Amino acid sequence: MIMKRLLPALLMAALLTPFCDGFCAPPLPDPQRLKYPPLTFMPPEPERVELENGMVLYVLEDRELPVVHVSAVIRAGSAYDPEGREGLAELTAHVMRTGGTRSMTGDEIDDLLEFTAASISVSAGSDAASADLFVLKKDYDRVFQIFSDILIHPVFDERKLELAKGLKIEDLRRIADVPQRLAFREFRKVLYSGNPRGRLSTIESVGRIQKDDLEGFHKRFFLPRNIMMAVSGDVDGKEVIEKFRRHFAGWHDAGRVHPVLPPGEKHSSPIYYLHKEGPQSTIIVGFLAPEKKSPDSYPFTLLDFIVGSGGFRSRIFQEIRSNMGLAYSTGSYYEGREGYGVFGSYAITKSETTGTVLARLWQILQDAGRRKVLEGELTWAKNAIVNSFIFSFSSTDLIATQQMMIEFHGLPPDYLRTYRGRIEAVNRDDVLRVAGQYLRDGRATTLVVGNEQNFDRPLSTFGDIHKIDWK
Amino acid sequence: MNDLNLHKKQKPLVFTLLFSLLLALLCFFGPSHSLAYDLEKKVLKYELENGLVVLILERHISPTVSFYIRHRVGALQEGDGSTGAAHLLEHMLFKGTKTIGTKNYRQEKRLLDEIRKTGNALDHERLKGEQADRVTIDRLSVKLRHLQSQAKALMVDNEIDRLYTENGGVDLNASTGQDVTSYHVSLPANKMELWARVESDRMMNPVFREFYSERDVVMEERKQTIESVPQRKLMELLLATAFKAHPYRRPIIGWPSDVQALSMDYLEWFSRTYHAPNNTVIAVVGDVDPVKTLGIVKKYFGTISRVNLPPLRITAEPPQQGEQRVELLADANPYLLMGYHKPTLPSFDDYVFDVIDALLTRGRTSRLYRTLVEERGIAESIDTANGLPGSKHPNLFVIMATPRHPNTVEELEAAIHAETEKLKKEPVSPRELEKVVNQFRADLIRDLDSNNGLASKLSYYEAITGDFRYITRHIQVVESIKSADVMKAARTYFVPENRTVATLVRREKP
Repeated sequence: MIMKRLLPALLMAALLTPFCDGFCAPPLPDPQRLKYPPLTFMPPEPERVELENGMVLYVLEDRELPVVHVSAVIRAGSAYDPEGREGLAELTAHVMRTGGTRSMTGDEIDDLLEFTAASISVSAGSDAASADLFVLKKDYDRVFQIFSDILIHPVFDERKLELAKGLKIEDLRRIADVPQRLAFREFRKVLYSGNPRGRLSTIESVGRIQKDDLEGFHKRFFLPRNIMMAVSGDVDGKEVIEKFRRHFAGWHDAGRVHPVLPPGEKHSSPIYYLHKEGPQSTIIVGFLAPEKKSPDSYPFTLLDFIVGSGGFRSRIFQEIRSNMGLAYSTGSYYEGREGYGVFGSYAITKSETTGTVLARLWQILQDAGRRKVLEGELTWAKNAIVNSFIFSFSSTDLIATQQMMIEFHGLPPDYLRTYRGRIEAVNRDDVLRVAGQYLRDGRATTLVVGNEQNFDRPLSTFGDIHKIDWK
Repeated sequence: MNDLNLHKKQKPLVFTLLFSLLLALLCFFGPSHSLAYDLEKKVLKYELENGLVVLILERHISPTVSFYIRHRVGALQEGDGSTGAAHLLEHMLFKGTKTIGTKNYRQEKRLLDEIRKTGNALDHERLKGEQADRVTIDRLSVKLRHLQSQAKALMVDNEIDRLYTENGGVDLNASTGQDVTSYHVSLPANKMELWARVESDRMMNPVFREFYSERDVVMEERKQTIESVPQRKLMELLLATAFKAHPYRRPIIGWPSDVQALSMDYLEWFSRTYHAPNNTVIAVVGDVDPVKTLGIVKKYFGTISRVNLPPLRITAEPPQQGEQRVELLADANPYLLMGYHKPTLPSFDDYVFDVIDALLTRGRTSRLYRTLVEERGIAESIDTANGLPGSKHPNLFVIMATPRHPNTVEELEAAIHAETEKLKKEPVSPRELEKVVNQFRADLIRDLDSNNGLASKLSYYEAITGDFRYITRHIQVVESIKSADVMKAARTYFVPENRTVATLVRREKP
C-alpha cells in the first residue's frame, strides 16, 4: 500500500528536482532539534615552575609552528601612579621598550627586532602591566636576551622619554575629538572617584614626570616575586627553565607588592553630564560589582550575560536596538578583578532620544533586581557560557597565559576545571540576589556625554545633575 | 587610524564595516616556502555543481571550527540612490528565515507584505520633501506602527543569534565591503551542522523582519561611526573626492538620504541575485573531517539554485589630471589624509605597493615613522594603507598622519613628500628590502595559529582573485621585487596630479 503510493511520488520528485531546485527542496530540520556528536577534549596542562628567586613560570610545549611566545604579567599599573605623576606606569612601560638596555640602544633593539620580524611589547593597564614576546625559533636566543634585559636592565634614555611624553600629551589633547572615547574615559574617573584608579593622566601630570620617576617605578615593581611568565611554542620545557634561570637568577628578590585598595562603595547616584556637541549622546550607567574571587561572580556573570553582554538576545540589545531601533552599540560588560569588579551598561543614541533611552536602560537594570530572570533565559545563558568555554583553549599561548593569570589573580589552580560546574549550579534566586545587591538604586554612576539642548527630556528629571568638564 | 573599538568588553560590536584597514592589512601576508607549500597542499578546494566553492583546512589544535562565507558582492553593485543596500542587507540577514524566527510564517508573511506596501507608500510620500502631504505621512506612520506591533507578536526575535550563542558560537559577525560581504562564526567542532542549517537557509529564505527599525539602527550606526568620528568622516570625504566616476567614491554604509529610503523590494532583489551559490566562497578551518564536512555542505548548500548574475557595468575611473584638495571643518584637532591612485592585485605594482607600505610605516624603523615621529617630532602618528577602499578595482594608496601640536598638517605634508621623493631618487638598500621580506614571512607563520584568521584569508583571496593560493604566492613575488621596481612605482604614482589631499581643520567657535 504504502509502497504503491510512494513510488510515483518519488518518481515525480526525481523528475521535478532539476526544475524546482531550491524551491521545493526537502524541508530543513528544526535547528533546535539537531543532534550533535559528543565533544571530548583534554586541554594540555602547562607546567608550573618556581625559580629560586621566587619568579613563577608556566611552560607549555607546542611544536606545530617554529615560534616562541612569552607573556609576562607584573603587578604594576596606573593604579600605582603617585599623586601628581599620573601617567608614570604607562610611560615607564613605554620607555622600557624604546629606551634601550645596558647593552643596546633603543634604536639598535628596534633594528634587530624588525629585521628578524620579532616583537616585544611592554604596556601598563590599570591594575597590572604586561610584557610580551613573539619570535621565530631561529632568533629565540638573541631576542630573549633583549627581552630579559628590557625587564631587568632598562635604560631610560632621556630623548626617548621626551618623545614618549610628547606623544602622550598629543594623545591627551585629542581625547575629546571622538565623543565615545571621551565618555568611557570620563566614566572611569567618576566611577572610581576617590580611588587611585580614578586618577588619570593629564597634560600637566605627564609634563612633570622625569627620568628618575621612571627608574624609581621600575625598581619598585619589576621584581621576581611581582612578575609571572608564561612560555609556549617550539621549546623544550627543561631548556626553558634553564634559560630562565640563566637570565633571571641574578634578579634580586626584594619582596612583593600589595594590591592597591579596591574602590569604595557608592552611597549616592548622581548623574554626571559632560557637554559635547555632536549628533549623538553616549550614555553609561555603571556599578561596582563582585570581585573575580567572589562566589557572587558566577551568578553575576550570568546576570550580565542576560542583561546586556549575551549578544542580540540579551535584554538591553533586544530592547534598545532591535525593538526600539535607537542605538547601534548598546549592551553591558562585567569584569571581575582582584578585590573589586566593574559592571557597565551603555547606549549611544541620537541626541533627540537620549531621555527615552536612559529611562529604558534604568528600567531594565532595576527590573533585574525586582523580578527573577526567566527559566529559559537562564538556561540559554548557561548553555552559551558552558558551550563556548572550549574557546579558552584554542591556542597553547592562550592556555599557558590563562593559567598564569589564574595564579596572578589569586584564584585556585582548579579555577578553570570547576568553572563550568559553578556556572551550571547557579539558580534564578542567585541571579536575583546579586542583581538586587549590586545593581541597587542609589549606587549607580551615570554619565551622559552629549548636547543637552537637543535632548527629548531634561536630564534634571532623572535626578541630581553634576556638570563636569573633561580637562 | 583611530581606535574604533571603544568598548573592550563589548561582545557584539557587530556589523563592522570592512571599509577600514582590515582588508588592506591582509595584503601584508607572505609565507616561507615550506609553509606555503604545506598550506597549498593542505587546503581542499571543491566546487559544487551550483558553483559554490568550498575550502576546507584541517587543524586539530582544539575541538573548534571557524566558518567564513563570502559573497562576491558589496557596495559596488548598488545602484546610485540606493547606497547602503549591501550593508543594510547584511543587517537584515540576522532577522531569521521562513523557518527560523517565526511562530507562524504564513500569517506573518501576510503582515510583512502589508508592512512592505505601507512602508513603500510612506517613503514615497516622504521623498517628496517640501511637497509631501503631512496628513498622509501621519496616517501611514500610524498604520505602519500598528502593523509592526502585530508582526512582532508572530516573530521570535534574534533567533539566529540565540541559536549560535546557545550552542557555544563565538565571533558571530558579518561585514560589508565594497567588493565582498562576509558572514562568519566559530563553533565547537561538533556543531557544524547547525552552521550549515542556518547559513544555507539564510541564503535561500531570508525574511526581512523589523526592516524599518533596523534601517533606523543603521542611521544610528552612521552617526556613531562616521558623523561622530571626524577622522572617519575625513576618509569618506577623501574617497568621495579621489573617485569621480567609479563607485568606490560612495561610502559602504551609504549616504544618509539613500539609507533612509532603502526598500524591502530592492534588498530582496539584491539578496536573491547576489547571494547566489555561484557568487559565493565558503571556508571551513578547524577540527573537522574533510569528507564529512563536504557531505554536510553538499546536503545543505547543494540544493540552492545557481543564478544568472546580471552583467555588472562599472564605470572606470578616468585618469586624474591634477591635484585635488578638500577640507573638513570639525570640532577636532588637525589630521591629514593623502591618496594616490594605483592598480589593484594581481598587478605587479600592487605587490610593489605592499613593499612601499612596509618601508614607509611598518614599525619604528620604517622611514616615515623614524623621520616624522622619532627624529623631527612633528607627527603623533603616521600610517599607510595599500588598497582602499576595495581590492577588486584600481584603488588608492593612502597616507594618514596626525600632527603633534603646534606643528601643522602643511609641515607634515612637506615632510611626507620629501620621503616619497627619496623613494624616487635613491635605491632602497638590500638590507631594507630583506627586512620587509622577513616581516611578510613571519606574518604568515603567525597567521597560521588561528582558525578564524585562516578561514578569513583563504575565503577572501579566493573570492577576490579566484585562487586562495594568492596568499602563498604573494611572498614569491615580493621576494623578486628589486629597488628599481620601487623607484619606478614611486616615480609613476607619487606625482602631484595623481594625488588627493584631505585635511581636517578645526572649526573656530564664532
